[in-house]
Amino acid sequence: MHALFVDDETEFLELMQKRLARRGMDVAVAPNGQTALDMLDATLREGGEPFQIVVMDVRMPGMDGLETLRRMKEKMPKLPVILLTGHACMDVAVQGLDLGAYDYMLKPVAISELLVKMEEAVRATA
Amino acid sequence: MAVFDWLRRRLGSGRDQEPDAEQLAHEEALKERLRDRCRRFRRLLSANKSALEAMSDVEEHLLGQRPFGMAYVQAVSTRAVSAVFRMVRDLNGLSDNAYLSLQTAFDHICKDMQARLTTTVSTDGPLVLPLSAIDLKDVAQVGGKMASLGEVAAHVGLEVPDGFAVTASAYYRFMEYSGLRAELDRRIQATDMDSLDALFNLSSALQNAVLAAPLPPELESAIRQAVDSMLQRADGELLLALRSSAVGEDASGVSFAGQYHSELNVPIEEACHVWKEIVASKYSLTAMSYRYQHGIPDDEAPMCVGVLAMVPSAAGGVVYSQDPVAAARGKEQVLLNAVPGLARGVVDGAVTPDTFVFTHENPPRLLQVKTGSGKTPCLAQAQAIALAHVALALEEYHNEAQDVEWALNARTGRIVVLQSRPLRAADAAAEQEVEANAEQCAQEPEAPPATPELLVSGGVAVSPGLGTGQAFVARKEADMLSFPQGGILVVERALPRWAPLLPRAAGMVSETGGMAGHLASVAREYRLPAVFSMEGACAALDGVGDVTLDARRCTVYAGRHFRSADSQAETPNLMKDSPVYRRLEEVARLMVPLHLLDPESAQFTPEYCKTLHDITRFCHEKSVALMFAPDSVNQSLGKQLKAGSKLQYWIVDMGGGFCRRISGPVVDIAEISSAPMLALWDGMVAVPWAGPPATSAAGFMSVMLQSTMNPDLESTAPNVMATKNFFLISDTYMLLQARYGYHFCTVECLAGDSNHENFVSFQFKGGAADARRRCLRARMVADLLERHGFRADVKEDSLFAVAEDFPALEILQKTRLLGYLLIHTRQVDMIMLETERATALKNKLATDMNSFASRPMPGR
Repeated sequence: MHALFVDDETEFLELMQKRLARRGMDVAVAPNGQTALDMLDATLREGGEPFQIVVMDVRMPGMDGLETLRRMKEKMPKLPVILLTGHACMDVAVQGLDLGAYDYMLKPVAISELLVKMEEAVRATA
Repeated sequence: MAVFDWLRRRLGSGRDQEPDAEQLAHEEALKERLRDRCRRFRRLLSANKSALEAMSDVEEHLLGQRPFGMAYVQAVSTRAVSAVFRMVRDLNGLSDNAYLSLQTAFDHICKDMQARLTTTVSTDGPLVLPLSAIDLKDVAQVGGKMASLGEVAAHVGLEVPDGFAVTASAYYRFMEYSGLRAELDRRIQATDMDSLDALFNLSSALQNAVLAAPLPPELESAIRQAVDSMLQRADGELLLALRSSAVGEDASGVSFAGQYHSELNVPIEEACHVWKEIVASKYSLTAMSYRYQHGIPDDEAPMCVGVLAMVPSAAGGVVYSQDPVAAARGKEQVLLNAVPGLARGVVDGAVTPDTFVFTHENPPRLLQVKTGSGKTPCLAQAQAIALAHVALALEEYHNEAQDVEWALNARTGRIVVLQSRPLRAADAAAEQEVEANAEQCAQEPEAPPATPELLVSGGVAVSPGLGTGQAFVARKEADMLSFPQGGILVVERALPRWAPLLPRAAGMVSETGGMAGHLASVAREYRLPAVFSMEGACAALDGVGDVTLDARRCTVYAGRHFRSADSQAETPNLMKDSPVYRRLEEVARLMVPLHLLDPESAQFTPEYCKTLHDITRFCHEKSVALMFAPDSVNQSLGKQLKAGSKLQYWIVDMGGGFCRRISGPVVDIAEISSAPMLALWDGMVAVPWAGPPATSAAGFMSVMLQSTMNPDLESTAPNVMATKNFFLISDTYMLLQARYGYHFCTVECLAGDSNHENFVSFQFKGGAADARRRCLRARMVADLLERHGFRADVKEDSLFAVAEDFPALEILQKTRLLGYLLIHTRQVDMIMLETERATALKNKLATDMNSFASRPMPGR
């Protein structure tokens, strides 16, 4: 599975990249929303391997997760996006789901649980 | 109509004729619609599972047996809301937006939940209040400690230090100004509060964040001005005591003993910085752990701070207006603990205090003096009696026993009250228990039965009981990380910093400290056996392995000598009735109750969905109905099962459910490759059904009566019983909706590679007999399933049972059991009131189900 993780916590990104690579996943990372959008654009423009799923934080400096999600869905409506955040807030969760997020998950999350959800999201939107 | 024409042509054409290209294209289009429908349906089921998991998690937490914080309440609410939102979205996707009003019901529930989770804080109040302007009505702005001190000065006429309070508004303004509130929330939410390691890291990060945050200029100015006013009133040099006075410290059932920081002898220039240190101490390991264990939300405990003039103290301590131990003996006495210098020595448990006991009368009469660490008492008799007077005066004013912290001013010789609060009921009860145990011990001179090796003895039982575990001597804070769960904590000094270990300990021993110390109070709250002032305990217990602490006798023995049942009093339920617990209860009322029980009822509508559970129930029911609706897709793709059975089954293959492409209208059981369906079928045919049980006259009449009253049982009416029995299958999935006899049931199973996703669930409702008999059958089936790892929920004659998170093989074995029960519980509701026959039936069913364990699973 080719996944893109978007989070401003670089330690978290590095950890995820390592742990998911051990489980056979190809994970790219972006430290903010704009970089993530640029990376998606690049795959569309240059025909690289498309991302099958995005896992993204909500609270990020600059463009927040919800705005990034909105723009992602404009470009690629079928791309499954999971919001993964340390911020448990019902309003934000509903806004994110309303914008088309597949699910809203909370940190800390067990890697196995996250994997199951990612696989489910990819299957459900395939 | 074109679809039905096509269908008629297909059915008429026979199964052996090859389909033409047009037919294939049409079939493929229908399959694509089915796949899309199935995708949505699977998503809905997955969200349904998540929502129900969140709800059962809430119910488990409401048992109150383990601590949780607001972070949990927020998280579980968000999980449930997210899942239910997804269900609503997918149901509307499945139904071409037929249930848009469900979104309105969902929005209402969410809004209500959000209102219950939001704490509104005010930053508009005064930033500082002089002590002379404070009394008990200001408790929400200045905290219990300062409000009580203001009350003592204003209305009792006792001397208190000069000073002022930095208010809750000041605290909230600081938190908002620096953006700390959101940052702290985020960090707390992301931390596993049950992990001491994680708590250590969190505590350090939060305290650093508070200390690094800037003060709003108006707050800094207000504090400086108030300190300048004190300086003008002071005779000479002014040193400050900054004392925590958090809101909620005086809440029912919590002592907050020593959990927050106070700083003495503070130069006036450092007032602002020390104020921040005290606010930071709200996030000390001790305080966070205490709040977590007692269910106190961070937002509801704003840190107010008392800024008081330092009293040059000749002696200090604590006086109880009622000694609870004496009260247990039917005597009213005043108990005074005193140490030379600052009162802190008593409350911190760092030294063993002098003890004075008085009669509870006016004037009080001295009954007993016991010196602590020094050779002579630190107070003259007259001073001690004056303190007893103070305690009695405060008790009379508040009309309840008081716990009073005091200092003896070295310059004036006058008594200064530093704090007065009600003597906690929990303390009183625990101390009565100490006394009761002491009396019991006096009658049982022979301590533990096997006369084990005595390692150390002596001291004061500050919390009664027996404890066994590995002795662990803790000397520095880092030792906390290696403290063994269930160990006996041994320390040199009874300092409050050890409090986070108490929930993990089986007992505690300290070489110093007394009954009135903070740590003693916390030990009593946790009902942890504890002995203080036990000299030589550290040396005697270091490295000795397992020990038995008998707090009743103030003794420690080598080895474990009590059964666990004897060793620990019932763990107190600290969560119940706490603020966090009450918040969870409130949101649970909007999540968990199920009102929509009967899908046939006129009230089974979005408008009657009052909880998230109602919405999940509605979505699930409607989605199943949509999936099995006799519409063009199902009519075209459905195949009739050929299995030599009288029952009519229609099967829709979502993909991989058939061994090969089936072109005709009929499929043979041998052509099925869906593992869950084969497992269920194996159970259905494993034991031949003997037919309905012979019915007594009463049972028969019950069925007849129901038949006349229930429109669903009238054979000619168009009703839900006309529904076909449908299987929706894939290689690893199966959903059956069926009617057996007079009851309806749904079996759903997913048995794939991921244990986490696997489940099998079973729902049924109804029957031929009256409600009582139907309910008894539901209960019987639930009992049988619970023996095989199902979680079952019975409401009236409805049963919902589920087994989940098992490997595929186990899920299939359980599915087979359901197949057996589907067939063999038909019409047995009629005999449920005949006790002997019902018992015999249940035993036979149980025996048959057990015998399945050795049967190999079917498969292709």
